[in-house]
Amino acid sequence: MFEFLFKYPGAVFEKGHFVLLGGWPFWIFALGVIAAAALLLWHVRRHRGPLTGARPLVIWLLETAMIALLLFLLWHPAISIATLRPQQNVVAVLVDDSRSMAIQEGGQTRSSQAARVLDRKLLSALGQKFQVRLYRFGSQPERIQKTAQLTASEPATRLGDSLEQVLAESSTLPLGAVVLLSDGADNSGGIGLDTISQIRQRRIPVHTIGFGREKPGKDIEIVEAVLPAHSLADSRLSALVTFRQYGYAGQKALLSVRDAGKVVASREVQLRADGVPQSEPLLFNAGLAGPKTLEISVDPLPGEENRDNNSVRRVLDVETRKPRILYMEGEPRWEFKFIRRAAEDDRSLQLCSLLRTTQYRIYRQGFTDEHELADGFPSKPEELFAFDGLIIGSVEANYFTQTQQDLIREFANRRGGGILFLGGRFALAEGGYSHSPLAELLPVRIPETKGTFHRDFSSEELTPQGRASLICRLVEDPERNAARWAKMPQVANYNDVGDPKPGAVDLMDVLPAGRHRMPMLVTENYGRGRTAVFATSGSWRWRMWQDHTDTTHATFWQQLMRYLVSDSPGLVSGSTPRAVLPDETKVLLRAEVRDKAFKAVPNAVVEAHISAPDGSSSSVELTPVPSEEGAYTAEWNAEKPGSYVAEIVAGRDKEELGRDVVIFRREDGVAENFHTAQNRELLKKLADETGGRYYSASDAGRLPDEISYSEAGITTRETKDLWDMPAVFLLALLLRGSEWVLRRRWGVV
Amino acid sequence: MRRRLLICGSLVAISVTALFALQATFREFPNLEDDHIPVPPDAYERTEWAFTRLMYPSGRHASVFGAIGSWPTDYPKADRQFVQGVRRLTRIHTRSSEQVVDLDTDEIFNWPWLYAVEVGHWSLTDAECAKMREYLLRGGFFMCDDFHGRDEWAVFLESIQRVFPDRPIVEIDNQDSIFHVLYDLGERVQVPGIQYWYTGRIWEKDGKTPHWRAIYDDDGRVMVAICFNQDNGDAWEWADHPRYPERYASQAYRMGINYIIYAMTH
Repeated sequence: MFEFLFKYPGAVFEKGHFVLLGGWPFWIFALGVIAAAALLLWHVRRHRGPLTGARPLVIWLLETAMIALLLFLLWHPAISIATLRPQQNVVAVLVDDSRSMAIQEGGQTRSSQAARVLDRKLLSALGQKFQVRLYRFGSQPERIQKTAQLTASEPATRLGDSLEQVLAESSTLPLGAVVLLSDGADNSGGIGLDTISQIRQRRIPVHTIGFGREKPGKDIEIVEAVLPAHSLADSRLSALVTFRQYGYAGQKALLSVRDAGKVVASREVQLRADGVPQSEPLLFNAGLAGPKTLEISVDPLPGEENRDNNSVRRVLDVETRKPRILYMEGEPRWEFKFIRRAAEDDRSLQLCSLLRTTQYRIYRQGFTDEHELADGFPSKPEELFAFDGLIIGSVEANYFTQTQQDLIREFANRRGGGILFLGGRFALAEGGYSHSPLAELLPVRIPETKGTFHRDFSSEELTPQGRASLICRLVEDPERNAARWAKMPQVANYNDVGDPKPGAVDLMDVLPAGRHRMPMLVTENYGRGRTAVFATSGSWRWRMWQDHTDTTHATFWQQLMRYLVSDSPGLVSGSTPRAVLPDETKVLLRAEVRDKAFKAVPNAVVEAHISAPDGSSSSVELTPVPSEEGAYTAEWNAEKPGSYVAEIVAGRDKEELGRDVVIFRREDGVAENFHTAQNRELLKKLADETGGRYYSASDAGRLPDEISYSEAGITTRETKDLWDMPAVFLLALLLRGSEWVLRRRWGVV
Repeated sequence: MRRRLLICGSLVAISVTALFALQATFREFPNLEDDHIPVPPDAYERTEWAFTRLMYPSGRHASVFGAIGSWPTDYPKADRQFVQGVRRLTRIHTRSSEQVVDLDTDEIFNWPWLYAVEVGHWSLTDAECAKMREYLLRGGFFMCDDFHGRDEWAVFLESIQRVFPDRPIVEIDNQDSIFHVLYDLGERVQVPGIQYWYTGRIWEKDGKTPHWRAIYDDDGRVMVAICFNQDNGDAWEWADHPRYPERYASQAYRMGINYIIYAMTH
C-alpha cells in the first residue's frame, strides 16, 4: 500500500534525503504562495455571496493549499539516494548454524525454515543484483556454497565475533550489506559496542531475519546463578538463582544445589508470571575445603519442552586457609568469653585476642607465636595487616595512638579487612569515638554526647535486610528464621549509636522498653574492606539463657566473624571474570599483588600454574596491566572440557610474595540449551544500530528490493521524482473535491 | 525465738528475691556473722560482674549451722571486701555488693560466675543438680571453697556427683592457665581459716593437704573450681585484720581474681 501511494519502498524515504530540482530559489516559491493567498483572500471576500462566518475562510484555505501544492510541484521535488551498483557489490549472507537452530517449530526446524527462505527467492533475487557470499556460523563463520551444507550443530552462537570476522575477511571487497539469518540466541552476552561501531564506520547495513518463537510454550529456564567464587570451609552460602518460566505461572517448582550429585540444599518456590525473571536465594553449606563444581537446578515440570536449560554449573573454591581475627578488648566481660568460645568452635577461624585485664596488663589468647603482639596492639602495618579481621571491644579511642588509629582505618581501606566495633561502656560514643578518625569507619553516625550505654535488658528484632542476611540466618527458611529470632533472649545491654550512614545496612534493631527502636547491628563496605557495629556487649545471654545444646549464639557469631574475613584478600588475590566457560576456551586470569603493608607491587613476577582435568599442567606468565598498579593479567586457552585449577604465584627478587588459587571450568555442549527463544530485541537492535532492517521470516521477500539502498560498497546516487506519486494526485483531488462538496452543501455552486 | 525470726526473715527475703529475680538487682539477706557491714552506697549499680553467692540447702547437714544452712558463712563481709580488691586490681566493672542466687529460679543464668562456701555441708536436690549441670554446660563457672577433710569431701561428692555423674574431679595442673591468667600462682600455700588465730594450725579437721581440683568440660575448660582444705572466704573476710597473715590474704585475693578472669576469658 505504502509503495502504491508513494511510488517507492519505505527504505527510500528512510535512507534518502529530500531535494528540490527546480532552478528557482525557494524564496520565490514562498513569495508566490503568499501572493496567491492574498489574491485569493481578496477574491473570496469580494465574491463570498451568501457565505457567512468561517465558511469563506475554509474555502480560502482549500484554494490556497491547492495553489501551494501546484507551485511546490513546479519546484520539482525529488529524493536523492545512494544505491548499490548492480553486479559490482558483495552481499554477505550469514546463516546461524548453531544447535538452537535445530529446534522444531511448526513441523520444521529453524534451520530448514532459513534454508527455505534463502532457496525460494532470497538467494536468487540477491544474486541477480549482487555477488552473494554465503556463510554459516556458530562460534565463527565458515564460507559455504549452498544451504544444504547447513547442519545446525554448532555448540555456540557468537554473533559479534562472527560479524567481525566476516567484516575483516571482506575488508578489501565492496561489501554493500550483510544479511543475517538467526534466532538471535547469542551465547556471548550480546554484541559488543566495538563491533557495532566498526560496522557503523564502514556504513554497512546489517539486515536481520529472525526465526523461532519469541516465547516458548512450556519451559523453565535458569537465567543465572550467582554465588561467591571463594568460601571458607563449612560456611553458609547463598546462591541467587534467577529463572524464567512460561506456562507454569502459580505452580510450584523445586530449586536444588547439588555437590557431586548429592543434594546439599533444596527449596520449593512458587512460580510467578510468564516471562518475568524471578530471583530466589538458596542457602547451602560450603562443606569441606577443596575445589567444587556445584549444579544449581530447577526440577523439570510435566510437559516441559526443553529440560536441558533447567540446570547450570558453578565452581566454588572452598579455601583451606584459616583467616585470623584480632580482637582487642578493653576490659574483662562476659561477651568476650562467649565470643571466644564461638570462635574456638569454628575450625575455619583463628581468633587472637588482647584483653586489658588490669591497667597495665594484657592477656593474650589464641596466638600460636608466643612473641606475636607481645607488646599489645600493633603499631606497624605488617603486624596488623597479618590479620584478616579486627574486632574492637570496649576500648576508648584514645587508648590507640594516632598512628594506630590511622592504621585501623587503613586496615579496612587498603588492606581490605573487616572491622567489627562492639558496644560497651568504653566503646563508641562512650569511648570518645565521635571525635576520632574511628568515627569515619563506623557505619553509623554516633552521638557526640555520652550516657549512651545502658545496662537494660532489651529485646532485639531483625530488620527486613537482616532477615535476608547470611549473618543473621539461624534457620534457612526466612519465615522460620524470623520466628526463631523472635524467641531469642534479651540482650543484657546496648549502646545508642544514632542512625545508619547512607549506604550502610541495618540488620538488627534493639527495642528498649519505653524507648524508640535503634540500630544494633549495622554493616557497610568501606574502601576495599567492610565495617560493622554490634552495639551491645550483652549477646552472651543468648548462650546462658538457652539450652546448652542450642547453637544459635555460636552460629550467629561465627557467621558475623566469617562476614568480616571471607572477602579479605591475601597478598596475592587471583580472579577470573568468568569461572564457567560455556562452549568457550579463552579464560582471562587476573591477579592483584601487594606487599606486607598491602601496597601495590608493580615489579613482581607473576605466574599461573594450571592443572588441567586430565592431570597435565602448564604455566602462563601474567603481565602487568599498564593503567593499574599491582594488577597482572593473562589470557589462556582451556583446551579440554572440565575443571581447571590455577595456582597464581607472585614473587619479587627471588622472594615469594604470596599465592592464590583460581578455579574455572570449561563446559561443552551446554550454551545452546539456553536462551532458545528468538531474541528479536537483539536482532532488531543490531539492524537499527547499523542502518539495516529487521524482517520476520514471512516478510523477508521484501529484502531484495530494499537492500539496494546502502551507503557502503560501490554506489551510485539516484534522484527519484516525487511529483508523479499517486499520493500527490490524490491530495489534489481531495482539495478540489472537498471544496466542491462544501460549496454544494452551502448552496453556492 | 531469734532462730525463728531468722528463718522467717530468710523466707521473706527468698520470696522477695524470687519476685525480683528478673530484675537481677541487689538484695540483702540476714547477716549470721557477728560483724556489721553497712550496705555500700552504690550497691544497686548495674555492672558487668558481681560476686554471686549460691544459696543452697544444707538438708540433714545443716545441724552445725542451724536451719538456714551453711551458705551465708562469711557473708556479707567476705563478699564486699573481696570485690573491693577486684575493683582496685582489675578493669572488671564490679558491683560493690554481692548477689545471692539460688538454684530454684533461672536467675542464676544472669550470673555466669558463682561462688559457694562450706560445700561440705550442702545437699542439693535432684532438680537443683540438674539446674547446676545446665548452668555449667551453658558456660557458667562455679568456685567452691572452705570445706575440709574426708567427711566434708564425701558430703560434697554426694551432690556434685549428681551434677556430673560421669565427669572426673582432677587436680589442676600447675601449668593450667587458671593459675596464670593474671597472677602466676604456680607456687601456692594452704590458706587457713580464722581458726588459725586460736589454734595456730593452718588446716582443719584432717585436711592437712590443700587441693586445687576441678571438673573440666569437653573442651578442657574448668567448669567447677574446687578449693579443698583451704578457706579463701575467711581470708577475704579477715584480710583487713592485723592478726590474719597478709601472705594468705594476698594469695586468696589473687586466686579469686584469677578464677574470675579465667571464667570471663575461657
